Amino acid sequence: MTALLQGLAIVAILVGTGFSVVAVAGYIRLPDVYCRLHAAGKVGVFGVTLLLVASVALGAQQPGKAVLLLLFLVLAGPATSHALASAAYRMGLGPRAARRNDLPPPPPR
Amino acid sequence: MNAALQFTLQAALAIHVLLIAVCVVRTWRGENVVDRLLGADLIGALTVAVLVLLSLLRATPMTIDIALSIAALGVIGTLALAKHLAGRGRPEGGA
Repeated sequence: MTALLQGLAIVAILVGTGFSVVAVAGYIRLPDVYCRLHAAGKVGVFGVTLLLVASVALGAQQPGKAVLLLLFLVLAGPATSHALASAAYRMGLGPRAARRNDLPPPPPR
Repeated sequence: MNAALQFTLQAALAIHVLLIAVCVVRTWRGENVVDRLLGADLIGALTVAVLVLLSLLRATPMTIDIALSIAALGVIGTLALAKHLAGRGRPEGGA
């Protein structure tokens, strides 16, 4: 049972680190703010969450705090992504790589 | 804690620290203000990841508390700055 949990923890750490690497690569390489938001949202929701799953599987000293941090990250990540995308839209930053753009122009300030 | 788990934790810690350095450079050269704010949020999330890995490696019970407070403060700061950018130049009471 202990070996099984340790194997689960190793797999979770590797997958979470892979998510973080891919997200940072997307933040560097993607063309405009909205694409970068799509990539950078993955660090909080998948990368850190899988590390916390590994922490609980390994029997951390305070698993309640790890679960609390996990729930907080899952709730807060989409909220910050939405606030940043809304700010970019209201500032008038358009998508750069889109073939067509169905959004109306932002309201005047 | 066996050797494979120890090696995995140390390698993940090194990779996350390297990713933070890359994000700092990219945020420094960011092209607009929302891009830089997004980079700061990303650095905060990676810092939380580093603290969780440190709490697994060193088994100190304090580290996960620091990760919780960094996550909460980072989210509040990002939300406030995004609302400020979205409503900049508007009269009082506007969204």
